[in-house]
Amino acid sequence: MSGIDSGFGSWNPLAWALLFLGAGLVALGFRALGRSDRKRASEQGRAFLSGNEEPQESAALHVRGRHLYWGIVDGLAGYYRRAASLHTGIVNDYVAWFVVGLAAVCVILLGVG
Amino acid sequence: MKALPRSFKRALWVFHVATGSCNGCDIEIVAALTPRYDAERFGIMLTGTPRHADVLLVTGPVTRPMMPRLKRIYEQTPDPKAVVVVGGCGATSGVFYDSYNVVGPVDRIIPVDVYVPGCPARPEAILDGVVKAVAKLEGLERAGVTT
Repeated sequence: MSGIDSGFGSWNPLAWALLFLGAGLVALGFRALGRSDRKRASEQGRAFLSGNEEPQESAALHVRGRHLYWGIVDGLAGYYRRAASLHTGIVNDYVAWFVVGLAAVCVILLGVG
Repeated sequence: MKALPRSFKRALWVFHVATGSCNGCDIEIVAALTPRYDAERFGIMLTGTPRHADVLLVTGPVTRPMMPRLKRIYEQTPDPKAVVVVGGCGATSGVFYDSYNVVGPVDRIIPVDVYVPGCPARPEAILDGVVKAVAKLEGLERAGVTT
């Protein structure tokens, strides 16, 4: 199989296939050096999670982006509970809040002034 | 230290478990790895998982929440293995003996091979304990103990 030589580089599928084959054989060689006598059915076959039990539920294993903010959300749980209930996703509600807020600011400014 | 020359068949990987220690012994373990004591010149290295370890270094009196974790870590360590208890708390529960939240000492939870006394144990003593664990491991290997 002939390759492509563009002057800037070369491409030969057969060479790459041989390279991957060689790398795979080396990887298998390394794998064969490992021990195979561990007890797979015992704790030795389970993941090490700092001594904690491996969760059975897939949801407990899944780390979401939300987990990064767990400390903030948990610390401000009271605020988030109220804010989330106000967050309807309807633009009319947000405009209403804006108008009410603006009116409150005007009242305060005019009252103070 | 006479056991050392016969014990260089392979590097010894050690996993450290703190079961509620005050960190005094933990700091001494770290000190044993510093250039002053240089445990790695003997091929002794701390590893991040018990699944790669030959020796468990256990510190602390074993608090109630740590008991199942200590058991699990012991079970996850492949055979042959040795357990070295570092410090007085692990050996006898020390000043925490009979505390409401302490279920130790360590040998009540898992089998212990070597005790390194001290509060905290000195780095030289910790190295000596690990070397004794090497001798124990070699004995187990000669006896053909594997997983």
